[in-house]
Amino acid sequence: MLQIEHLRKCFDGFAAVRDASLQVAPGEMVAVIGPNGAGKTTLFNLITGQLTPDSGRLFFKGENIAGLPAHRICRKGISRSFQVVNIFARMTVFENVQAARLSRLGKTRQLFAAACSMAVPQTMEILESVGLADKRDRIGGSLSHGDQKVLEMAIALGVDPDLLILDEPTAGMSPEETAVVLELMKRLNREMGLTILFCEHDMELVFSISQRIMVMQQGRSILEDTPPRVRCDARVQAAYLGGGDVC
Amino acid sequence: MSPPGMRFKSAGFAFAALAVLFLLPAVLPRYYLYLLSLVLVTGLLATSLNLVLGFGGIYQFHHAVFYGAGAYVFALMLMKTGLPAWLAYVSAPAAAALLSLLMGLICIRLSKLYFGMLQISLGSLVWVVVYRWYGFTGGDDGLQGIPVPGALSSTSGAYIFVLAVCLLCLALMYRIVNSPFGRIFQSIRDNPERSAAIGVDVRQHQLIGLVLAGAFAGVAGALFVTVEGSAFPEMLFWTLSLEILVMCLLGGWLTFWGPMLGAAIIVVLRTWVGIYTDYWTLILGVILMLLIYFLPDGVLGRARKKKTIENPVAGAGKV
Amino acid sequence: MGFAGHVTLAAFCQQVLVGLSRTTILFIVASGLSLVLGVLRIPNIAHGSLYMIGAFLTYSLVRLGGGGSAGFWMALLAAPLGVALLSFVVERGLLCRLYEREHLMLLLFTFALMLVFGDLVKMIWGADYRSFAEPPFLQGSVLIFGLPFPRYNLFLLAVGPLVAIGLYLLTNRTKIGKIARAAAVDREMVGAMGINVSWVFASVFVIGCFLAGLGGALVAPTQNITQGMDHAIIIEAFLIVIIGGLGNIWGALLGALIFGLTDAVGILIWPQFAIVFPYMAVVVVLVFCPKGLLKSIW
Repeated sequence: MLQIEHLRKCFDGFAAVRDASLQVAPGEMVAVIGPNGAGKTTLFNLITGQLTPDSGRLFFKGENIAGLPAHRICRKGISRSFQVVNIFARMTVFENVQAARLSRLGKTRQLFAAACSMAVPQTMEILESVGLADKRDRIGGSLSHGDQKVLEMAIALGVDPDLLILDEPTAGMSPEETAVVLELMKRLNREMGLTILFCEHDMELVFSISQRIMVMQQGRSILEDTPPRVRCDARVQAAYLGGGDVC
Repeated sequence: MSPPGMRFKSAGFAFAALAVLFLLPAVLPRYYLYLLSLVLVTGLLATSLNLVLGFGGIYQFHHAVFYGAGAYVFALMLMKTGLPAWLAYVSAPAAAALLSLLMGLICIRLSKLYFGMLQISLGSLVWVVVYRWYGFTGGDDGLQGIPVPGALSSTSGAYIFVLAVCLLCLALMYRIVNSPFGRIFQSIRDNPERSAAIGVDVRQHQLIGLVLAGAFAGVAGALFVTVEGSAFPEMLFWTLSLEILVMCLLGGWLTFWGPMLGAAIIVVLRTWVGIYTDYWTLILGVILMLLIYFLPDGVLGRARKKKTIENPVAGAGKV
Repeated sequence: MGFAGHVTLAAFCQQVLVGLSRTTILFIVASGLSLVLGVLRIPNIAHGSLYMIGAFLTYSLVRLGGGGSAGFWMALLAAPLGVALLSFVVERGLLCRLYEREHLMLLLFTFALMLVFGDLVKMIWGADYRSFAEPPFLQGSVLIFGLPFPRYNLFLLAVGPLVAIGLYLLTNRTKIGKIARAAAVDREMVGAMGINVSWVFASVFVIGCFLAGLGGALVAPTQNITQGMDHAIIIEAFLIVIIGGLGNIWGALLGALIFGLTDAVGILIWPQFAIVFPYMAVVVVLVFCPKGLLKSIW
């Protein structure tokens, strides 16, 4: 579904992403791990068009999407959440998700229709599935941090993506909130068949739910394999797991 | 969602208010009708600015250019061509929208503050041309004695017409703010990056908003000429643009009716203060400073916030 | 004056010199604006008012000094200092509490200042035109290219480069200049280094406003000093800053040159629309480089 070949991006001479390659098949749950500054967020920004790659190729459903603006990439079926909470802070929870639905339905240029009765069932469905239905009329910016992160995911789901990219979905969350997000990711992947690509610091979470893992170091993708094999790889153990014999 | 009884009651109230507004010419002296017409025109102008400022988050620093463009196009068509008046009324917003599109295409590439400053610059170019082109625009004398159609040349005729057109425009803008486009426009205001990530072409939507706001400002310009019978270059001078911004701020720039209220306060206050002193700008300056320090959400914004704090669910999401 | 065909080379060269002396004033005012914009991120609309106040103060001080050369020099120094003092009071008393607010609020606040200053000037100096003669040693003209050229304009031509060099030294060779440049790029970092950013801002604001006052003082003998000169200069200064690149002092110089010269040449070509020429130049520049000619922010 997604195929990344030798992607590269420099900022003022510093190569944040040097040479990243990755394959994601439909229905998979793939994690990207790596130490801070390995280039995970930059890689995601390249995939979803917030940044334009300097070189390399980027295929989604067989189509080269490298260099397209973010909104075009989104319309091709890739949606994402951001590492730092990125919601519509002055709109209600309902309106946050509804905006995404309206965009997906291509109704954003309708000037005189009444928005309040549009896409209500689908929006409520998403809010219920993430557990924010009872807070639908709260202003987005007034939610707790954990709820804002969940809202972020709900917005991303609102555009009905084929591939969902999550940049540290549980960053800054309490253990209880993390468990909720974990459950949600599992459900989206297994029950709804959504392809998910995510990065995460919580190794336990990564190894428990992902089907494959890609390891990045200093802007390069150094390894791409199943969780048990990644766990046994010497380089990963050196970088992450303190070199202990886990296998 | 309000219960049907309440909705019925508020509809009745609105109908009564409308009836009063349309019957005012029967009782009110001409001067007050004139003042009320000015309030309506200025309020329409401020509301059109707020469409892009408060709901789009675009730093439209030189909105008056579109107001002036509408006024001059309207006036010149009546004075220099034999075309029917209704065509002039249609051309004014069309020309203003076109100008808005042109300026928007140049400015939209830039971020917030830069956008605003570039707009002031381009708008000043338009002003300079109007100000200097004596042969065509009358230069700094402006245009006087514009042949407004007979039925609208009386104070009460102009008032009724202005009232009807303003209400129509306000209703349209209210629809726009609450339409899917309005939703997306607000999402762009809150977070352009996130909006792009849900598949919204941010610049395209901003341009649509700018063109709409320009068109409504053009309507306001034509209405002003209808009321006043003249057009002058101060209508597109940048200080007027900032005065309209003050109106939006005063009334509450995150609310729909705030700019209307702000315009009413400023226009009435200016008229009233003008009786007693020549130092109106000093007073306006002090009011503005106090606003920035103590009432940055404006009158209506403050009222809504209070309501939201007392009852966080009911107050939210209303425009 | 007719159209381009009738213009002699001498008249053209002289007009260029006139444009260059106008450039001096524009550069001084615009560089102050640019300084404040680059470091504080405030589009200071009251900048034009300070220019106007500088001109009126110079008028009063020269009258006080009896119109002699000594009085002129004193006024040329004291008027900008007076403006700087005023701006210091405003910055510490009012503006410094608003730095955390949105740009929109800062812009509107400086607009409020402009409104207040405008009426204060009307209260103090009245609504009439004011004017005074150049100091004795700068009166009259010299012959350049066979045509008379005002001595005072020659004086302006000399002052321009001096101010430019002074600004260069200030921003590149002094501690405050270096800190200010760093603050323009990254406020938090400068704050984290233990430097009181608030006072850096105050200093930059006062220096910028001093330049506005200096521009007003220098322009005072050459034109009628009136209400409304604030409105005219501030838009020109904004245009110059924008085509030069926000916050870039050399951009302000380049922009002032473009503005002053197109204006001067425009007078030769089409006097009635001379004022349109610099505006057209601005549009041409912005269509091709919307972020200005030189790199934004220093």
